[in-house]
Amino acid sequence: MKKYIWKKIFTGILTIIFSFCFTFFLIRCAPGNPIKILAGTDNPNPELIEHLTIKYGLDKPVSVQFINYLKNILKGDFGYSYISNESVTKLIKERIFPTILLTLTSSILSLVLGTFFGVYAARKVGTCMDKFMCGLSYIIDATPGFWLGMILILIFSSTFNILPTSGMYDIREDYKGAYHVLDVIKHMILPCITLCIIQIPLYFRIARSSVLHIISEDFVLTFRATGMKEDRIFNKYVLRNAIIPTITMFSLSLAFTISGVALIEIVFAWPGMGRLIMDAIKNRDYPLLTGIYLMISISICIVMIITDIVYALIDPRIRYE
Amino acid sequence: MENIFTKISFNKELKIGVTFLIILILIAIFAPKIATHDPYVLNDDIIAKPSSRYIFGTDGLGRDVFSMVIYGSRTSIKVGILAATISSIIGTLIGGIAGYMGGIIDRIISEIINMFLMLPTFFLILIVAAIYGGSLKNIIIVIGLTSWTGTARLMRAQAMSLRERTFVKSAKTIGESNKEILFKHIIPNGMFPIISDSTMAVSSAILSEAGLSFIGIGDPNVVSWGKIIAHGRGYLTNGWWICTFAGIAIIFTVLAFYLIGEGINKLLNPKFSRSN
Amino acid sequence: MALLEIKNLNITYKTDKKEIKAVKDFSLDVEAKDSIGIVGESGSGKSTLAMGILKLLPKETTKITGKILFNGVDLLKLSEEKLRNLRWRDISVVFQKSMNSLSPVHKIGFQMEDIYRVHEPNVSDEEVRKRILELFKFVNLSDRVYTLYPHELSGGMMQRVSIALSLIHYPKLLILDEATTALDVVTQGQILDEIMKLEEGLDLTRMMITHDISVVASSCKKVVVMYGGCLLESGYVQDVLINPKHPYTQGLLDSFPALTGEKKNLRGIPGSIPDLSLEYKSCIFANRCKKARDICFKKVPETKILPNEWNVACHLLGGF
Repeated sequence: MKKYIWKKIFTGILTIIFSFCFTFFLIRCAPGNPIKILAGTDNPNPELIEHLTIKYGLDKPVSVQFINYLKNILKGDFGYSYISNESVTKLIKERIFPTILLTLTSSILSLVLGTFFGVYAARKVGTCMDKFMCGLSYIIDATPGFWLGMILILIFSSTFNILPTSGMYDIREDYKGAYHVLDVIKHMILPCITLCIIQIPLYFRIARSSVLHIISEDFVLTFRATGMKEDRIFNKYVLRNAIIPTITMFSLSLAFTISGVALIEIVFAWPGMGRLIMDAIKNRDYPLLTGIYLMISISICIVMIITDIVYALIDPRIRYE
Repeated sequence: MENIFTKISFNKELKIGVTFLIILILIAIFAPKIATHDPYVLNDDIIAKPSSRYIFGTDGLGRDVFSMVIYGSRTSIKVGILAATISSIIGTLIGGIAGYMGGIIDRIISEIINMFLMLPTFFLILIVAAIYGGSLKNIIIVIGLTSWTGTARLMRAQAMSLRERTFVKSAKTIGESNKEILFKHIIPNGMFPIISDSTMAVSSAILSEAGLSFIGIGDPNVVSWGKIIAHGRGYLTNGWWICTFAGIAIIFTVLAFYLIGEGINKLLNPKFSRSN
Repeated sequence: MALLEIKNLNITYKTDKKEIKAVKDFSLDVEAKDSIGIVGESGSGKSTLAMGILKLLPKETTKITGKILFNGVDLLKLSEEKLRNLRWRDISVVFQKSMNSLSPVHKIGFQMEDIYRVHEPNVSDEEVRKRILELFKFVNLSDRVYTLYPHELSGGMMQRVSIALSLIHYPKLLILDEATTALDVVTQGQILDEIMKLEEGLDLTRMMITHDISVVASSCKKVVVMYGGCLLESGYVQDVLINPKHPYTQGLLDSFPALTGEKKNLRGIPGSIPDLSLEYKSCIFANRCKKARDICFKKVPETKILPNEWNVACHLLGGF
């Protein structure tokens, strides 16, 4: 068990180191003068050049630059946005809460709903309902989330006018307390539904195939032969075994989910990291972009390590190895 | 051979997928014949509703949406197939080497593959494309270079089991070099599951490209479905047709490749094909 | 009255295109406290027979006709509820792949407790524990196994767990479906010895399903030889295995090495198992039988009853 967790932490650290090197060399190897890229314009003024040269130590050899870069990041300094001249850490801090809110809510909802549908389809395997659900999951998989979000806006906001199209809260009103929460929830419904729809097929399929696989295992036959009730076998033993791949899927889909969330945030003008990325790209604010990338990579690594530990706790076979 | 054809005709996924793909390829090849307008020309009618003149209406600049969607198929198929080819070649080689050689090389490669699983690949593509410019060539290369890990994992497993087979062992005894064994025995014999995986990779490459052009990091010189949708975002209230049809085109295309991949998968692993 | 009476049992698997008759017109009486071995090649229908007795075959894809009387009650007509009451208390089973016979993510003790409570819902925790530890001792397992997971045990140990589990409610009939096949010869021998020792104190009827004729020879009183879903020969081990009457039994014995006695050449039986999706109007073994005559290809042989409960289904018996 210890060995397993250390291995995961090792991979996580390696991933983070890779991300460091990647962002560092990406900017240094970019076509043209790195200053131009850091500055984001083709003709930066001399003051900016001097400022950036000193700040990033571009006058020093690459190895020294790399060490400085690492040192800064270890201190939590991810660089400065050249547009607002604010530290990347501060900008991210301002935007991270709405993203986490949206990601967690939709991921957990999809996990629960997807698993529920998957288990349901597995119990009705071969029926029309099962085939319909499987077919639908393919179609949703082929659907770009950002487009789906727009179609939902078209339906619920433009046509029926029942849900807000964008933002996280009503800027015209100044709700307090519970009303504020309700307002946020109202704004969250559409982006959340969109994210759920695109994530549910993932959990649906894994739960369905996992239940079907477990049901055909020999131990189910043993329990059946003992005269145990079918419902009890299913709820107590089959489900517990079938849930394990779902947890792996939760951790594996995280990297995928984050990018999906960013695109959906853009569609719904949700004031999270997705918007920040969009703005950074529009303004060619590369320090901000790489800073965000690093932050995201590190958070994904941490969450993945946590889920892997949870996984090990649930599946005794991992602990044993 | 006959057996294969009967199997294919029984395979619903493969049949639908291939039909879709043939339609798509025909559309892409005959785009200039099918399109009713030049997709780059700005017509006088701005945000015109779908009509007999403009089948899918026009966008905010007066371009004919139908013709843009038709031409967009070229971009999507090109990106999808080329990027998937790159990633499959890299994945097959790396996975084949790791699985066949084993030992320290395998450990290092496996670690790299594990690492890639933790990386948010879409952001990786996004940043590179943003800094190095989002020309079609760049996008294809970046998608290809970042999405080989799935193939590599599959090929590694294949190579590991093939390594233990008698014909590989005897090839080694005869004195064939590792390189010869890898290219003559391991890769050709382990290819089949890779084909299904590569088809799936086409789908995800198409979706990635759509996402990139939606954000605005696409090639400015080509028509792309993602770009049409991004443009349509500004006209949601008064021009629903702009984004709707491009989205349906993406679903159609991605679905075609998904179904083919799934169909091949079922053909190769009949055990999983039966739903019971 | 015999404990288990199987009368004209037919079991058919239905697939999309064809029907496979896995067990054909099979009749057998099993007396209480008997130990009976059922041998045959793979595909002979012996495992299907076991699953049929346990009523564990999937309902949608199998058709069962005939009678399976257990203590005079027809299992095939029993309601789901009554059948559940009878399971494990009257008939229990040890499966071949014992490594997978319990849930991999629950502790062994936990699962055994749960299974004990299926039929004894009101017993106290201590009683359950006491019974399980008693069974562990019975099959030479340490108490530690209680808190272990299935994957932490070896194949032989898991097989002992399965046997302990099968005895938890003192069943009247115990079916061992290839229970020792996957084990190495030494462990197999140990477990067979243990099973036979266990039986002395219990009121147990044992049915061993195996392809290994030596297992039957060393641990059973009676033997049934199955081929292509049909019973070809049955009787006491000392009759059937010493002086086989059916050419198939003879062939089967020739393909196993004898542990004692003079050296002999091992011979296989040429040909392969019959296609069970076809309707047979002949002796099912006729096309592989060296002694086959014209009549063997024309008529299904009737089962002839010899003295000492010896049944043989062969035209050649008596006269040809």
